[in-house]
Amino acid sequence: MSTEAVQRHSGPDARKGWGIPIGLASVLPAQITVLFVVLMPTLIVIWLSLTDWQPTAGVPWYRAEFIWLWNFYDLWYDERFLNSVVRTVFVVAVCVGIELLLALALALLFLDEWPWRKLAVSVIILPMMIVPVDAANAFFMLFNERGPINHLISVVAGRPYEFSWLSHPLWALIPIMLAEIWQWTPLMFLLVLTGFMNLPENQVRAALALGASPPRILFRIMLPLLLPVIVVALLIRSIETFKIFDPVYILTRGGPGAATETISMFMYNGAFVYFRIGYIAAAALIVLVLVVSICMALARPIKRFQG
Amino acid sequence: MTKRPGMLDITRRTVLKSGAAAAMLGGAGSFLLARPNGARAATLENVHIEAAAKAKELAQGRSVVLTILEPSGSLGNVKPVADKWTEETGIQVKYVEVPLGEINQKILLEAVSKTGAFDIALPATFGVPDLVESGILVNLDQYAQKYEPEDFQKDALYTIGDYYKGSLYGYQTDGDTYVMFYLKDWLDNPDEQKAFADKNGYELKVPETWQQLDAMMAHFNRPDKGMFGGALYRTQFFIAWEWWVRFHAKGFYPFDDDMNPQINNEAGVAAVEELVAASKHLYPGARTNGLFENFEAFGQGDKFCNIGWGGTQKYLNSEKSKVRGKLAFGPTPGGMVKDSLLQTPYFNWGWNYVVSSVSREPELAYLFTLYACSPTMSTIAVRDPGGYFDPFRGAHYKDSEIAKTYTEEFLVVHEASMRGSIPDLYLKGQGEYFDILRVNLQAADVGEKSPKDAIDETAQAWERITRRMGKRSQLVQWKFLKSIYPETVRDRLV
Repeated sequence: MSTEAVQRHSGPDARKGWGIPIGLASVLPAQITVLFVVLMPTLIVIWLSLTDWQPTAGVPWYRAEFIWLWNFYDLWYDERFLNSVVRTVFVVAVCVGIELLLALALALLFLDEWPWRKLAVSVIILPMMIVPVDAANAFFMLFNERGPINHLISVVAGRPYEFSWLSHPLWALIPIMLAEIWQWTPLMFLLVLTGFMNLPENQVRAALALGASPPRILFRIMLPLLLPVIVVALLIRSIETFKIFDPVYILTRGGPGAATETISMFMYNGAFVYFRIGYIAAAALIVLVLVVSICMALARPIKRFQG
Repeated sequence: MTKRPGMLDITRRTVLKSGAAAAMLGGAGSFLLARPNGARAATLENVHIEAAAKAKELAQGRSVVLTILEPSGSLGNVKPVADKWTEETGIQVKYVEVPLGEINQKILLEAVSKTGAFDIALPATFGVPDLVESGILVNLDQYAQKYEPEDFQKDALYTIGDYYKGSLYGYQTDGDTYVMFYLKDWLDNPDEQKAFADKNGYELKVPETWQQLDAMMAHFNRPDKGMFGGALYRTQFFIAWEWWVRFHAKGFYPFDDDMNPQINNEAGVAAVEELVAASKHLYPGARTNGLFENFEAFGQGDKFCNIGWGGTQKYLNSEKSKVRGKLAFGPTPGGMVKDSLLQTPYFNWGWNYVVSSVSREPELAYLFTLYACSPTMSTIAVRDPGGYFDPFRGAHYKDSEIAKTYTEEFLVVHEASMRGSIPDLYLKGQGEYFDILRVNLQAADVGEKSPKDAIDETAQAWERITRRMGKRSQLVQWKFLKSIYPETVRDRLV
């Protein structure tokens, strides 16, 4: 071997096999896999959103008719789609907002040590261990015309009460949102509690020593310090709630009419009842952009905090 | 509807397709006669023997396994027959069970993935047109010509859903026609009869028209005394079916001859109004309860009437029901059209045996479907008291075991309904046509929309769907479908 060759193989370039740095070579398979798993489906969805493909068309998806942006144009005028988006945003805002308030209240309750505290935490987080379909089924039973909720109201009111919660165009959303809040407040609670427990104690102690009232400590010291955790918790739950499906499907199937149809239910109907895959792919992309935008807006305080 | 680039191409394609289909039809209603007879050794009585023998010959001792994709809950119907098939042919049968409401989607996925995961499937009949258009179903004409006995389809009481644009794509294996159930004690009560006759001017008996039924439901609806007018469905999946019968009973087809919706005419609006008005006389769970909750609710014996299928009767005639032996039956009510009664019983579900176009053994798969739907074998299938399959052949109504499950009285009404049943909307996009109808009907039912708005919006949506699906192609199937409506109904609808 010539000196030049020895130098080439013992120097920094020795890490190169076929001219690829070893670092790059070692992560490349994983990167390619991730690209294939993430990028390919995304590209397929983008392609489908520009076609009118339906499996019933009898042609493979890759040979579907290209219709440019007509799906997006039609969606813009599709009242049912727009209503489902607005309804979903409303559900997200209400559910996540209530979950946060409940989680904050519960977390404050659990900050101090008290007997049975650990057991109580275990009991509180139980709902999120339940299969969502089962939880939804339980709420279906609860809010049935002759279910426990109406029975309870009857007992309190002293007269028979058989309100049809699940078939009322306005009230039907309530049981759906309650099911969601009941099941996922525990997750928010866990996140917030963990955040509270990791707050630096010095500032709180200093404030106490200076005679600050507990509400003042909470609002002026603890909550600002907890903000990054709250934002992350809100992000996680907002993304999850945006995809709400099980309670809607089990409790009302989007009805009566389309009064409780959320975006996931709309897409389910479009894809599995209408088989309009191209159209639903376009809807999915719009929703994706919407969710990403909301997440970016929510994540802004974290950046500010880090900065 | 937005005009889209490429629409011209779709139109050109569909024109060619329609032309071919029209040529194939060769005249409305003549498709059954037009199919060449060929040399057929099998008769209706021995078709199962012949099919098994031919399958054995074709298999030539190879180790063949046929896979059936079937809706959960139907194994009790399918397996006894498949066991006999294996016994007689040596061909094994494997089952892939999928949830009831997902089977058509699973079959459609197979049209995309073409894995050959199954050879035979049992889709819901109303979804067959979509499956045909996806290319996943084998056109069975050639096999039928080769093996099907002359009177095989004539013996089956409802075959409309087996054909699409004039070709055979499957065999019906479940007699899912709508039938009405009434509490006999309430109907026969002399005090009630007098009170009803005094108020309405006609007798209290199994109603012939929707108008009579609605009056009877109103008469019996006394929630304060724990009595309800009925248990008719108002949930989203089922609500459109009642409207479909109410509308047809007024003497109209849903589309005119140019495929324009005519559901938003006076009859269509009136049908919605009547349906909405009838809701006041239903039990409180009508808008939320699904299929099995409905069976259970009516089985309590405090509701005057219900609508359902053979499966409903299987439940109501079981130990679990309080109304066992206390029921009267009738066809779905009709309407007075030109001063005479028009009854339009409705076949709205059903399961078809079909053959996958990616099956490696399509001929053997076809022979299995022929075998399973033969009078002898289908009788064995229908006998299962826990399964879905209801009687659909003449032989089933003479079988003592089947009669025990359903009762003689029920079978008389069921057979008559089966013979005169109007079809579902067997068009490509059936799910979409019906879903928009369901959503709007439910919106009208809960007062979110007026009946006129609900049905007008449905008609507009139907127009858009038809255009998107390709009007000419849809028209070919619609004309064909119209031509095979039951004879008793066909000439009375406009």
